[in-house]
Amino acid sequence: MHDIDFQSFIDNDNSPFILFDNNAKILYLNNSAEILLGYVLKSKIYNIALQYAPQNFGVKTTTLYLNYESFSFYAITVGYESEEQIYIRFYHAPKVKQNIKIDTDKLMLTDINLLLEANITLFKSRYKTSLKLLTDPDIPEFKIDQNRFSKLLRKIFDLFAKTKEISITLKFLVGEHIIIDNKHYHIIRLSIISDDTIDNNPKISNIAKECFISYLIQTNSVTLEIPLLID
Amino acid sequence: MYNFISNSSTIQDIIKGLNLTKSLFVSSIIIGEAHIGKKGLISSIFGDLPMVSAKDTEILKDTLQHNNELIITDFEHIQNTPITLLEDKKIIATANYITNQNLIDDIFAFIYHMPSLKDRKEDILYLTDLYITEAQKILSDNNDTDINIDDIDIDLQQNTKSLKSSIYKYILNKSMSKEDIKKSLYNYIYKHIDGNNAYKEFLDIYEEPLIQAGLARYHSQLKLSSILGINRNTLRKKILEHKIDA
Repeated sequence: MHDIDFQSFIDNDNSPFILFDNNAKILYLNNSAEILLGYVLKSKIYNIALQYAPQNFGVKTTTLYLNYESFSFYAITVGYESEEQIYIRFYHAPKVKQNIKIDTDKLMLTDINLLLEANITLFKSRYKTSLKLLTDPDIPEFKIDQNRFSKLLRKIFDLFAKTKEISITLKFLVGEHIIIDNKHYHIIRLSIISDDTIDNNPKISNIAKECFISYLIQTNSVTLEIPLLID
Repeated sequence: MYNFISNSSTIQDIIKGLNLTKSLFVSSIIIGEAHIGKKGLISSIFGDLPMVSAKDTEILKDTLQHNNELIITDFEHIQNTPITLLEDKKIIATANYITNQNLIDDIFAFIYHMPSLKDRKEDILYLTDLYITEAQKILSDNNDTDINIDDIDIDLQQNTKSLKSSIYKYILNKSMSKEDIKKSLYNYIYKHIDGNNAYKEFLDIYEEPLIQAGLARYHSQLKLSSILGINRNTLRKKILEHKIDA
């Protein structure tokens, strides 16, 4: 057990995790927390951690609904084992999309990795940006409007046309769901991140909506949360 | 099925992209100048789909009504075709240029830009060799015609069309017999003979290459005058008259 590097598990955990010192300085944060801090001040999170900390050394989980832009959480865990350090972990609430009916007639079972690879090939044929790809080849086939989704990917990739390098990550979000039309669906997250600034294309959010996909754009990244529609 | 070969990395990417999406219900378009191989490339991958030109509006409408998957060439000519007919179809298209950016953006998931031949140095040599072999088979009785690629006046203005034309002309010139040349001259003279100085004008067509070729071969006016059986001064006069660089 002593040889296991637990930090990489926390780094890639979908739940934001932040470790503060007693001056509200961040000592560690995982990837998910890094995205969260784009939407909420660290001082605000530190205050929440202090407010919901256990009275003595130890760990306390509290049910608490928090909303920051597209993020919504239903609980937090706060813990400390010394006077110098305190951590907070957030638990994602299931996402609910109401008033959406999915017309599955136009959707076809698709290997998302295939569509992603085709879009990367198109991107490479047009731009000199270098690419890093981290994908999960075991994501099962799910239903998607292949043409519309590819169009969405093309437009998103075009946002990165002038960047020097991009990192693409495609992964299955364990334990997270989205509720559409009263049905729970697992979520696939596609993130494209660059060191350079990107501009938005207002058409993208509409196409994403038509595909039942959550679209989140920041100054240098795009995140898609794609429902894994099986039936 | 048509076999499309290219050594250009951009075209390799386009081929890879089209092959990856071949089994999917997505629409793709290749945009690029005329005669760069768009149609050949698409035929090599989607040869089993019906193909129609956007120039033929009525045939296009009919094909769209009866097929969910099709190839549309000359997409820049698309007009008077209701967009509803183009929606929810798998369309593989080619266009020489963009006339309706919004329509292309709405219909096609994959928009590929194919480079012109002049930007595909890797392909020029390959195609030149290919067309030389092809031209020799068609125009020459034997394949050992003395070919020097550097002597070919390669024209890439119209991509493969002009490249092929310049190579065919070169091979044709190299393989013509005396009788072929006579027939060519006959046709040319028949078409152009006119005026009041035709004898002199048309004699130049023979005289000029005669002296040019002779000088190129023997390098000496003295030697050439002897070969031609004319006086050296007469040859000198004719060189000046035709402004030949001797």
